[in-house]
Amino acid sequence: MGPKARPKCRLATVSPHKLRIQNPESRNMWIRRPLLGHEASGTVLEVGKNVKTLKPGDRVAIEPGVGCRTCSFCKKGKYHLCSDMIFCASPPYDGNLCRYYVHDADFCFKLPDNVSLEEGTLIEPLAVGVHACKRAKVRFGDVVLILGAGPIGLVTLLAAKAMGATKTIITDLVGGRLDKAKELGVDYTLKIEKNMTEVETVSKIGELLQEAPDVSLECTGVEQCVRVALEATKTGGVVALVGLGKFELTLPLENAILREVDIRGVFRYNNDYPAAIEMVKTGKVDLKPLITHHFRIQDSGKAFHMAKTGEGNPIKILIHPNPDDYY
Amino acid sequence: MFSCNSGGADAKDNLSAVLCGINDLRLEQRPVPKPRDHRKYLSPNKPSQCTPTLEVLLQMESVGICGSDVHFLVHGKIGPFVVTDPMIIGHEASGTVVEIGKKVKTLKPGDRVAIEPGVGCRMCSYCKEGRYHLCPDMAFCATPPIDGNLSRFFAHDEDFCFKLPDHLTYDEGALMEPLAVAVHSLKQANFRLGQVLLVMGAGPIGLVTMLAGKAIGASAVLVTDTEDFRLKKAKDFGADCVYQMCEDKPEDEIVQEIKEELGCEPHATIDCAGAVQAIRISLKVTRTGGVVVLTGMGQLEMNIPLTSAIFREVDIKGVFRYNNDYPMAIDMVASGRANVKPLVTHHFKIEDTVKAFETAKTREGNPIKIMIHPNPNWQHCL
Repeated sequence: MGPKARPKCRLATVSPHKLRIQNPESRNMWIRRPLLGHEASGTVLEVGKNVKTLKPGDRVAIEPGVGCRTCSFCKKGKYHLCSDMIFCASPPYDGNLCRYYVHDADFCFKLPDNVSLEEGTLIEPLAVGVHACKRAKVRFGDVVLILGAGPIGLVTLLAAKAMGATKTIITDLVGGRLDKAKELGVDYTLKIEKNMTEVETVSKIGELLQEAPDVSLECTGVEQCVRVALEATKTGGVVALVGLGKFELTLPLENAILREVDIRGVFRYNNDYPAAIEMVKTGKVDLKPLITHHFRIQDSGKAFHMAKTGEGNPIKILIHPNPDDYY
Repeated sequence: MFSCNSGGADAKDNLSAVLCGINDLRLEQRPVPKPRDHRKYLSPNKPSQCTPTLEVLLQMESVGICGSDVHFLVHGKIGPFVVTDPMIIGHEASGTVVEIGKKVKTLKPGDRVAIEPGVGCRMCSYCKEGRYHLCPDMAFCATPPIDGNLSRFFAHDEDFCFKLPDHLTYDEGALMEPLAVAVHSLKQANFRLGQVLLVMGAGPIGLVTMLAGKAIGASAVLVTDTEDFRLKKAKDFGADCVYQMCEDKPEDEIVQEIKEELGCEPHATIDCAGAVQAIRISLKVTRTGGVVVLTGMGQLEMNIPLTSAIFREVDIKGVFRYNNDYPMAIDMVASGRANVKPLVTHHFKIEDTVKAFETAKTREGNPIKIMIHPNPNWQHCL
């Protein structure tokens, strides 16, 4: 691995997918007791002797996944697809929900003075949004449909707007989530009712937008939403699949094939932290409305309980390992 | 054609060709390197960077002479790279693995490999974005201060050694380096099957570019040069048509004659000459919406007809070495789509390196690619 910096882990956020770890399918994993946490920021305390880009006192956003640097994926710039990727809190690797943590210096990104450590923790999900929009080839002037207004749908919305989308629409089952999306600047919202058919959903999207979206970013993983994305997207457009759901999906592929609607998967991010940080620094993206709850590290159990149950309608829950932070 | 292994860690003879000054090339012994399996500094100039390297020790088999090697010998520098201390020369090479570091997984002793000579730092944004050839801390064989690989033994990063299929010779392995330049140039040109290619210059780089263009599926390739015998070679090696450049002829006449010879305007023009006239012609003759790729290097400042390229949207792209191009180069030769064997015209043992470079300098015998063989068991077979 490259030269290390040692950020003192100040904040970490809880991401819903961590809850899957609580399903003890792997006995080895439970015996090992892995550390959780991968959406984090910290303050550099100490640097390895070869580190030249960071110094003690620097506040950084931590990109949690480091590739092997030597395989053809890494050398082609797609290190996120490296088969030997070491990713925080992806078994068997420890995460960074701890007071002190060591990481490769080139995967720690200095935060500008006007970006707080709290916003720094959200650079990770924002990077997912940035990467999704890059995969979907979001350009200035695009009309963008986002399915799902959970945290990932919301950061994808923020990234799409920052990257030039001039008309955006977001869908969800839950009205409260759509309200949050409105607060973040989405142009149109569509509340999905349980009895709405796909045809109706596609039709309503078209009515609201007065045209078909150039790009759809699917952030739920729900089969019906993926189907809607394929049917609603403009001919020649792109559907980016961010959400993860069932392994096998039944999809109206012929429609997409004949209309040359490209389908592109999205997995994490690569080389996206600088753009994400720049978006926050310049004010193009405001992450603060996404932070709803705070816990000390001693109360991590409570934090995860809230994330699991949805009690209190959390969006992003921050856990603070630094004992000097008062929450 | 296939040399056998002789020794590995026990061998003390690591005769190496060392550039000691202008026109001062000497054969000296160097220690046989040990393949590292721990961190090392990749760039002595900037010891701030160090990365994991898993190395293999190679017995060197074929090392080709490149124009840049000759340039360093004759001028002592290329641009900002100045030879200030003795430096082993050579970077177009192939070898046999004789020893591997502890953690090496993809290679084993006996494997025959083509050696990609430039390793980036692996940590900067260029490296992480896949453009490691542009890494500011790039360590490239025989670009000062990094030693080259014209020696009996050489240690290199495992992932920059590419296994050769059994039916490829070591000479072909060494030719992967210039062929990779050609592959990279064609990528920059976004060159596709069925397109028409113009190559300016029929030196070694022009020739491999023509071969690679045909391999990708060019419907026609025209090669230009000032010299008749080079054009004849280009034709022998597969160019569909050739054109002799003349310094005194008006440019517009040359442009017209090239179009007539090709039957149309080229989609892409790759300049492998570095000559101002060739570059000027490239900009004028390339099809509207096409690409001009500048591979050859010449003067720092050039007077060029840019306006026409601008409003015809003829893109201009530079080329510097290659990145992730060795696999395709090897495929081209292994599949039979590109035959690079005829490019090798001269062979020398490493002991005769000075003679080899003299031949390169004087061009006696019209060399195309001169191969030097550091393996003491190498024998020239016809």
